[in-house]
Amino acid sequence: MKFFFALLALAVTGSLLNAAPIKVVCTTGMVADVVRNVGGDRVEVKALIGEGVDPHLFKPTRDDVSKMLGADMIFYSGLLLEGRMEDTFKKIGAKGKPVVAIAGELDKTTLSGDEHHPDPHVWMDPVLWAQTVPVVAKALAARDPEGRATFEANAARFTGELKSLDEYVKRVIVTIPAERRVLITAHDAFHYLARATGITVMSIQGISTESEAGVADINRLVDEVVARKIPAVFVESSVPDKNVRAVMEGAAARGHTLVLGGTLFSDAMGAAGTYEGTYKGMLDHNATIITRALGGEAPAGGMSGRLKP
Amino acid sequence: MKPWPNFPGGEVRSAEMETFWRLISLQDHNTRIVLAGACALGAAAGLVGTFLLLRKRSLLGDTLGHATLPGVAAAFLVAEALGYAGKSLPVLLVGAALSGVTGMAAVILIRKFSHIKDDAALAIVLSVFFGAGVTLVTAVQQLPGGNAAGLDHFIYGKTASMTTSDAMVIFGASLAVAVMCVAFFKEFALLCFDEGFAGAAGWPVRLLDVVLMTLVVVVTVVGLQAVGLLLVVALLVIPPAAARFWSDRLGVMAVAAAGIGLLSAALGVAASALFPRLPAGAVIVLCAAVFFAISMIFGARRGVLVRSYGERQGMVRLRREHLLRAIYECAEELSSPEQAVSVSQLLAKRPWKRNALRREIEHAAEAGLATAAVDGGDVQLTGRGVAEARRLVRNHRLWELYLLHHAEVAPARIDRDADLIEHVLDPKIVDELEALLDSGRRETFVPGNPEKLPT
Amino acid sequence: MSTLPLEIRCLNVAYQRKMVLWDADLAIQPGRTTAIVGPNGAGKSTLIKAALGLIPSASGEIQFFGKPYAQSRSRVAYVPQRESVDWDFPVSARDVVAMGLYRKIGWCMPVRARHRQLAEAALADVGLGDFARRQISQLSGGQQQRVFLARALAQNADLYLMDEPFASVDAATEQAILEVLRRLKNEGRTVVCVHHDLETVAEYFDDAVLLNMRVVTSGPVSEVFTRENLRKTYGARLSLLDEAVAELSRRGSPLR
Repeated sequence: MKFFFALLALAVTGSLLNAAPIKVVCTTGMVADVVRNVGGDRVEVKALIGEGVDPHLFKPTRDDVSKMLGADMIFYSGLLLEGRMEDTFKKIGAKGKPVVAIAGELDKTTLSGDEHHPDPHVWMDPVLWAQTVPVVAKALAARDPEGRATFEANAARFTGELKSLDEYVKRVIVTIPAERRVLITAHDAFHYLARATGITVMSIQGISTESEAGVADINRLVDEVVARKIPAVFVESSVPDKNVRAVMEGAAARGHTLVLGGTLFSDAMGAAGTYEGTYKGMLDHNATIITRALGGEAPAGGMSGRLKP
Repeated sequence: MKPWPNFPGGEVRSAEMETFWRLISLQDHNTRIVLAGACALGAAAGLVGTFLLLRKRSLLGDTLGHATLPGVAAAFLVAEALGYAGKSLPVLLVGAALSGVTGMAAVILIRKFSHIKDDAALAIVLSVFFGAGVTLVTAVQQLPGGNAAGLDHFIYGKTASMTTSDAMVIFGASLAVAVMCVAFFKEFALLCFDEGFAGAAGWPVRLLDVVLMTLVVVVTVVGLQAVGLLLVVALLVIPPAAARFWSDRLGVMAVAAAGIGLLSAALGVAASALFPRLPAGAVIVLCAAVFFAISMIFGARRGVLVRSYGERQGMVRLRREHLLRAIYECAEELSSPEQAVSVSQLLAKRPWKRNALRREIEHAAEAGLATAAVDGGDVQLTGRGVAEARRLVRNHRLWELYLLHHAEVAPARIDRDADLIEHVLDPKIVDELEALLDSGRRETFVPGNPEKLPT
Repeated sequence: MSTLPLEIRCLNVAYQRKMVLWDADLAIQPGRTTAIVGPNGAGKSTLIKAALGLIPSASGEIQFFGKPYAQSRSRVAYVPQRESVDWDFPVSARDVVAMGLYRKIGWCMPVRARHRQLAEAALADVGLGDFARRQISQLSGGQQQRVFLARALAQNADLYLMDEPFASVDAATEQAILEVLRRLKNEGRTVVCVHHDLETVAEYFDDAVLLNMRVVTSGPVSEVFTRENLRKTYGARLSLLDEAVAELSRRGSPLR
């Protein structure tokens, strides 16, 4: 009898302990998406950087910091994407809280850009982004060993989904006629997409949105657009579109009609609660929009018909 | 693996020449647009900035620019609440203008109702409004819906991405501002120089002030969204400050300010069009700064070089005249002005350093005013030297007489002490003095030493 | 029927709860030169500025030639204190004098050659004929004062209000200003000057207004410059009063 009660007590305590999901705070929506997918019910995720906000320039408010302090774990993208938060992460990490840069572990040699300043937009390549999944799973399991099996199962499922996403993206982009396979945007966020799919990317500003374009940069892009007869350019949801409009005007002055192909999600996902507000939806949307605007073939509803028209 | 695609058709023949030619011939639409807009803004800002500088309110542009931020966020919120698209340029511009004007009113009120002076009042309004703006913008960005992305960047434009509509707005606004400045030129000049007299004469001083400040608001808000806060403030302040060194006439100064503003803009845009990764706005500011440095050093009227040259010339003349006078007086004591005097006699007359004296004698000899025996021997005045020295001595003694008899502060250019008076006397003034003295005394031309005069 | 050049009744001016002028009454007689004297801080400049509406007054009635200032403006000229402007301003003497003509030139119209000639003539009247093109920062203090005077002369007014025109000027300037005062009087115009130097009041002016927050008395100098009045105005600075009274008796009265 005593043994039975002891077991019951243990089970109850155990389930009480396990009933409380891990409180996780993430920076970007993309990171939050990974953690949610891997953690499932065992995590409660909050993202600090909302849609339409530029993570390169994001500065945490007191509210954000207290959210981070109140959480059990913190995940962020890394590679200096959240450039202004490095100090905050250090301070919080010093307090003993697990602060994990999920892309920070990636093999630098597989990344583009400068050795000291690799391009942080790794989520643009689903295969590359899939490499962050085991990192998340491992970190979560360290905090919650009971859930290890769940985490690993979720991770495997999610990685599979990312693989089909990758196949879709590559499939549709390739249907764009070769000479038109050029993606022009405001800033250099899509480099990994280019690398994965073979599309060429050009941008007006540099890698960070803090830099400013010069007149020569705009002219250069107009030259490219006219020379290659590129039909469309794209704006981004979190970056002002002035530059892109200037390029459109320059091309028009040379007699070449350049249309706005659509708004891409680069540093932030779509509205929360919508399909575009998930990682899959984000890339699905991007790939589909780009393909259709540049003259390739892609279904209007995207990969699984869930895109808004 | 190369991350960036190769540009097509990379010719070996200088790509630089190619770019240069394209710039000069203004082939690129974007270059033309940016050039036109920036130059117009530079000229208008220089013109208005001249009056701001003379009114000692140069930082008003800075305060205005920063004070626009809360208005931008508020306008966005109001528009969205009413169901319109918040991120539309006219809406945000109206919000910016209203907020800027409120900031200006706050500055005036602070000055009026407290002892706080201009510079502190401007700084207070600038920081408070901008802080409020940052808070509002951050709060707005936390709201759901991605509409607020880049709201602050939206209003603080970047020069290179100027569009045709931007340039047209700038051009129109600049033209209007220039016309107003020309039309009200004398009114603004009077306002800046003597507000009290203007008020007494019946000019509506408050109204004129408001008109002038409105022109500043127009330039600031239009410029803000096209070229950014940094550039607008710089163009309002730097060209007029540089122009001040070139002229003492208000009209010339205003035109020069407009010119320097225009040139800085043109050079900045050209540089940005020639070299990659050079943001046009920042380079324009650098050009303006270079113009300022050049003006400060070489400015025709008040530049450092010109002034120090003038002063040095003055000192050279002074030393020459001291020498001539000393030789004359020494010679006179001995026998006659043509008499040769020795160096030691000269040294006894006036505290020179021996080497300095020797140099002065050499210079005088070169100028044909004296002859000096070799080796520091005796010095003798030439015919020309005697005439010049006589004139100087006469001036000096007349002044001494005048001061002695009238014991008053000397007329006209009295800010110097008695020692230097003879160096600033005109022949005309001297004639007056002589007449004054001759009317009381019937003596001749050159009075002797003051000690010898009958009292 | 008052068409006196300037008549002030019960003027009260306060600055931050401190009274500066208290029930000031004034009646300036036409065709005469009047000095406003009083110790420092007595409100002399304030009186003129309040009359012209440059500073607000708590109460009081002010009439220029029987009408409010706004309607008599063209007949009144004001010479402010020299310190009220920054003389580093990029204008010439001629430009400053031309400013006196701006009202006549009108809104937005340019300054023409004949206006400039008028300005140069006014400068010649004060002895600065050769200095017309000179930058004002290159003028001495006395010359600057004369430029201000010329500006007022160019307005061809009937009443001249001058704030300390003789303060810190050299002998030549003093002579020039006196010349102008005499000429204006001969032409039948009225001059009111805030004056600081008691010793010269008798010599330069016909009438005097003794002011110390309130008008102690006003009238011809020979009548009002009594020991009693001066003591009421200046308080206990007796040696100064003695000098002034002695000077007065030495020069005799009436004056020029």
